[in-house]
Amino acid sequence: MTQSADRLSSGAKFSFASVGGGHYVVATFSFIGFLLLWQVVSMNVPPIILPGPLKVAAAFVELTASGELIRATAQTVWPFAIGLVIAFVLGTALGLLLGIFRPAARILDPYIFVFWSIPNIAWLPLFIAWFGVGQLTLIVFVFVSAFFPQLLTVESGAKEADSFLVEVARSLGGTKREILHVVVLPAALPYIFAGLRIAVGRALVGIIVGQLLIVATGIGYMFQFYGETLSLAKYFAPLIVIAALAVLLNRGVNWAERALIPWKQRAFV
Amino acid sequence: MRELEFVNVRKTYRSPSGQDLLALADFSLKIDGGRFVSVVGPSGCGKTTLLRMAAGLIPAEGGEIRLDGGLLTAPSAKMSMVFQGIGLMPWKTVEGNVALGVQLQAHRRKLNEAETQLAHDTLAMVGLKGFEHYYPHQLSGGMQQRVGLARALVRQPEILLMDEPFGALDAQTRTVLQDELLNIWGRVKSTVLFITHDLDEAIYLSDLVVIMGRRPGRIKQVLEVKLPQPRYSYDARAEKEFAHLRSIAWQSIKEEL
Repeated sequence: MTQSADRLSSGAKFSFASVGGGHYVVATFSFIGFLLLWQVVSMNVPPIILPGPLKVAAAFVELTASGELIRATAQTVWPFAIGLVIAFVLGTALGLLLGIFRPAARILDPYIFVFWSIPNIAWLPLFIAWFGVGQLTLIVFVFVSAFFPQLLTVESGAKEADSFLVEVARSLGGTKREILHVVVLPAALPYIFAGLRIAVGRALVGIIVGQLLIVATGIGYMFQFYGETLSLAKYFAPLIVIAALAVLLNRGVNWAERALIPWKQRAFV
Repeated sequence: MRELEFVNVRKTYRSPSGQDLLALADFSLKIDGGRFVSVVGPSGCGKTTLLRMAAGLIPAEGGEIRLDGGLLTAPSAKMSMVFQGIGLMPWKTVEGNVALGVQLQAHRRKLNEAETQLAHDTLAMVGLKGFEHYYPHQLSGGMQQRVGLARALVRQPEILLMDEPFGALDAQTRTVLQDELLNIWGRVKSTVLFITHDLDEAIYLSDLVVIMGRRPGRIKQVLEVKLPQPRYSYDARAEKEFAHLRSIAWQSIKEEL
């Protein structure tokens, strides 16, 4: 019997917003609408409450030209990246180990849960006492913020590996190591990305809070300074940087996920 | 050669309430090399247990399972199993899933040239030429089971174990795949142990139909199907002999329901 290859597709996808390929147009118009609304509102309230988009743009250009914004961004990006990368690597590795070796997980899980439950901010005084007022404390704080969501998400993914697929691999003669490689790791990959998405968000909060409260540098400190001096137009500049960073990172994670998990079926587009 | 033998095999399961359930009691069966043997019986008669033990996935409690006289206790490179649930790796393409049959048999990640050629020939044999780079979710159930069959055949098994492989497919697809299985079996000459609950399927495919009784699982009756092979070359289902065998088998199974 013959079946033609091109008649098979990956199946029709369901879309809630049936705009076809026009989502860039939609996004552009919605952004213009947002700016207009912002302008209209800002014209009807005192500038101390909400500066308009033009004033914010001017402040953004001024802070960029003076080098202040770029310097602050660099001061923020480095400890953020170092803390996040270490958290991602260690969180993924430990999550996989605990997902596979359940006896070890049964011993460690309660401790992990307790550490995870304590609000991050409560650790800060302790970290300052241990690591001093400086970059190290900042990195540790970012690390702790991102490590636990990565660990817990990957662990839950690894332990859910399909027992039927494990049995199939066994029937084909697979050793424990081979089964880990062909069944458990690929199954955990979507969870590694899900964990990363949460970890990125937590690490961003961590770096801003850390810079606000510990080292008085970077983007976090700009929030504090321009907030307290009520220079609201300038206050929006670091806000834009953080938002851009968050969008960029999320795009990156999405892109990597699609590249590395081509088999994943998505119900909604 | 390629002879599979069960000698006084037993298996008990512990029920959730703590009772021991005898699933299989002193089961003995000798399958000569190259024969196609089906096992039918009511659900819970232990037929899948039997197959999983032969595949080395669960240990037999008492008795022995032998392949050409050698004791079987673990999954063997000389065997392949085809599952009702198919069990393709969603992250591997058709080609990758078939290659897995060799990789886990030889404990090597890379296939050599001959093995790659074999994988392609096997894919062609099951009618999947041109689908090498598809992922399982892009294929229909029938085509997925063709991949499952190719993954088993690429190992050039002496024994092919099949656990209701067509049970989840629609009637048309099932009929087509039954004929293709007979065609392939005629070429590869493996010994086949085939589990099904479909009497017609068992009679149509097999040299020997083993009817099992309800728990504890034991052999109730063995029917020899003398209709000539290959049965797709004529309308075997319309033969008098076919109806006769089905009637005997059905009587036998009805007593167990």
